[in-house]
Amino acid sequence: MKKIEYKQLKETLYHETLPNGLDVYVLPKQGFAKTYATFTTKYGSIDNTFQVPGKEKVHVPDGIAHFLEHKMFEQESGEDVFQSFSRQGASANAFTSFTRTSYLFSCTDQVENNLTTLLNYVQSPYFTDENVEKEKGIIGQEIRMYDDNADWRVYFGLIEAMYQNHPVKIDIAGTVESIAKITKETLYTCYNTFYHPSNMLLFVIGAVDPQRIFQLVKENQAQKKFEPQGEIERFFDKEPNAVAEKRKEMRLSVNASKCYFGFKEAPAIIANSGNNMLKMELCTQLFMESLIGSSSELYQSLYEEGLIDDSFGHDYSIEQGYGFTMMGGDTRKPDELVARIEQLFPQKVAKGISAEEFELVKKKKIGSVLRSLNSVEWIANQFTSYRFHDSDLFEMIPTLESITLKDVNNRMREHIDFARFAVSTVRPLEQSTKPTV
Amino acid sequence: MSSGQFQTRQIGNVRLHVCPSTKFKTTMLVAMFQQELSTKYVTQTALLSNVLLRGTEQYPTMLDLKKKQNDLYGAGLFGDVFKRGERQILHFGVDIANEQYLHDASPLLEEAVGLLCEVITKPALEQDIFVKSYVEAEKRNLKQQIEGLVDEKAQYAAQRSIEAMCKNEPYAIFINGRVEDIPAIQADNLYTYYQELLYHCPLDLYCVGDVDIQRVISLFQKYLPSEMFTSERKQLGLSQTAPVSVQQVNTVIEHLPVNQGKLNMGCRTHITVQDSDYPSLLMYNGILGGFPHSKLFMNVREKASLAYYASSRLESHKGVMHIQSGIEIQNFEKAVTIIKEQMEVMRQGQISDQELAQTKATLSNQFREQQDRAYEIVQSHYHSVLSGTNRPLEQILKEIAQVSKEDVQKVAQKIQLDTIYFLRDQGGEADEKN
Repeated sequence: MKKIEYKQLKETLYHETLPNGLDVYVLPKQGFAKTYATFTTKYGSIDNTFQVPGKEKVHVPDGIAHFLEHKMFEQESGEDVFQSFSRQGASANAFTSFTRTSYLFSCTDQVENNLTTLLNYVQSPYFTDENVEKEKGIIGQEIRMYDDNADWRVYFGLIEAMYQNHPVKIDIAGTVESIAKITKETLYTCYNTFYHPSNMLLFVIGAVDPQRIFQLVKENQAQKKFEPQGEIERFFDKEPNAVAEKRKEMRLSVNASKCYFGFKEAPAIIANSGNNMLKMELCTQLFMESLIGSSSELYQSLYEEGLIDDSFGHDYSIEQGYGFTMMGGDTRKPDELVARIEQLFPQKVAKGISAEEFELVKKKKIGSVLRSLNSVEWIANQFTSYRFHDSDLFEMIPTLESITLKDVNNRMREHIDFARFAVSTVRPLEQSTKPTV
Repeated sequence: MSSGQFQTRQIGNVRLHVCPSTKFKTTMLVAMFQQELSTKYVTQTALLSNVLLRGTEQYPTMLDLKKKQNDLYGAGLFGDVFKRGERQILHFGVDIANEQYLHDASPLLEEAVGLLCEVITKPALEQDIFVKSYVEAEKRNLKQQIEGLVDEKAQYAAQRSIEAMCKNEPYAIFINGRVEDIPAIQADNLYTYYQELLYHCPLDLYCVGDVDIQRVISLFQKYLPSEMFTSERKQLGLSQTAPVSVQQVNTVIEHLPVNQGKLNMGCRTHITVQDSDYPSLLMYNGILGGFPHSKLFMNVREKASLAYYASSRLESHKGVMHIQSGIEIQNFEKAVTIIKEQMEVMRQGQISDQELAQTKATLSNQFREQQDRAYEIVQSHYHSVLSGTNRPLEQILKEIAQVSKEDVQKVAQKIQLDTIYFLRDQGGEADEKN
């Protein structure tokens, strides 16, 4: 058990890689009533074509990682695992993203029983033809719910507009048609590939004694047998520099338009990993905050011109293989908004961010990281995500402190390129959206 | 409700509640103004939450204010309105880094109190009233916000269902106000209303963090004008509502171009947080639809495969329970039947030992977990201020543990289904797929 101290943050992290390859991290949180644990596989919706050494290359239906997540709750006893967690007073859940599937619980009592339940159910799949069929109705309704969600549609529309080939453009839940093709056999193929302990990470944070947690996890894992597995190879089609569609338009039953836009990263950038990637991510967030954050002059003028309101925000996603900035919100005049961005961004990029602006956004970012560190959920999820591309969440504040104005201006000039710019707009239906009773 | 480890001090006519804690890396300050939920005030109160964040005497533009926040390590500054029973609460808050986690930072608590007080009591003015252009811009934004409710179908359906159920009760009022009130609001009359609210509505101040209570008191006394403490504040009494008995179930179907139907069912529980059987009501709601082991999740989702979500939740001041589920449009009757059956089963006392034990465990866990989030600690304590009913954490846990099956059944027999609301597509053959 390795002990890592972060003195400035007053946090201590414990780590060990078990013989079967599972990475285990424990972070005790003084004064907290709650313990939160995540058991995560590096497997998300983008991993749809893969091969393990000695086996055939496989291509699987869209939405299968998410479908698999739903099916893990089913157990051979016929009882849903939620039932066990509830008996032990835990609140359990799971989620699937583009790159990860995470199983989690939080509790204030019976931590060890709940942790054992988590490890055991995620490591004992039970899929049958019947339970696979049943889930299609439930996930079908989840897909329908998102179909009516304008924020999701405009968000996803932008990713679809940006990407020509990369599977990030495929909706995480798939479609009603794609999930119809899922069988228990394909689920087992995905499970056996990606749920090997060497592709997983366990993070436990809260009111815990690290010694006891490590002992429990080690004993639990020692009882289970996993065949060694070679490195999983994932295949992605080459993604060109240019966006798929410059403008993506949709109409939905909304009152005001929603408009999101952003820049796709160039191929060279998304080859980064480790602390280079962390630094690049932070530089991007800092320049975005200076450029269009709520304290920027640009934001203020757009707000005063009535082109944006306080729903306007910005975000950056970066993984090995894809990356993009995204900004937007509700607007009455999406076309004018985009025209202003196309006019104002090049001016600001040419002028650069000032030293004063830079110092303020850097302070803001440091404060917001501290605020996030109040949340055990944020720490566990972000730590795992960073760990999966070989960087360290707790390096964030020192890295931030090391970033210079020059770094941030360079990053802005590298990223803002209108050849990689796309816009997604959801507009109200032409017919009236007034309800009829 | 549970109250954390708060120390309350009455300073003149203002209450200050402080919860010293070392577990957070930031300090949270919140000011809660209480107003009756009424068509007379609702829109103006909602508008104030936005206008006051536009600028202050010292930081006259939004940009100045944002720069100040950034300079204070991105102090989170927020202002909003929310509903508790038939009260509208206007609240403002600051969440600021504790300097012990920063290199070379000066003390930030005083800055935070100063900023919050500045926002609340010293708005940017022109000719002794609010800045006209700010008020006009925020009127436009508020209108868009109110009209934009329809963009979030689940929230829209929830609000419409409350409107159908509580037609003649203040509870039906939408918390962000009414579009028809907006044109009459001007910089001068809004300013008059603001003065009224600032000095005469009940005010509670909160602080959670690694702080000393005496220090917090003296800072608020330094940064708030003394009239804030001395002015007479109106007595709104406890957040009680008149009992309503259901004569017959009201069904409302509304049409919009949607893919998924949203089913909402509103029930009268005839029990509020002030009643002694409130813990039994919490258990009832938990067994029916509060958790993934609950009857609604198990029967609507897991057994019938009709929905992704099917749950129930309580409004503990008003004494109502809302059930919600997103379903395929043609499954409306099927889903309503299953939900009614589950309520009937509870009326007959068909509650297993397992359901009782699971719900006690998960409900208790929810209460204990609240203690790990500063904002929830504040909200949870404020419930007790509004209701005049203080159930400290240990007490509510004890009361939950004592609830029997018979207690839950008794609650089940009081609960009446009042309204079934369904938001569906435009139906009929004339309609085309959108």
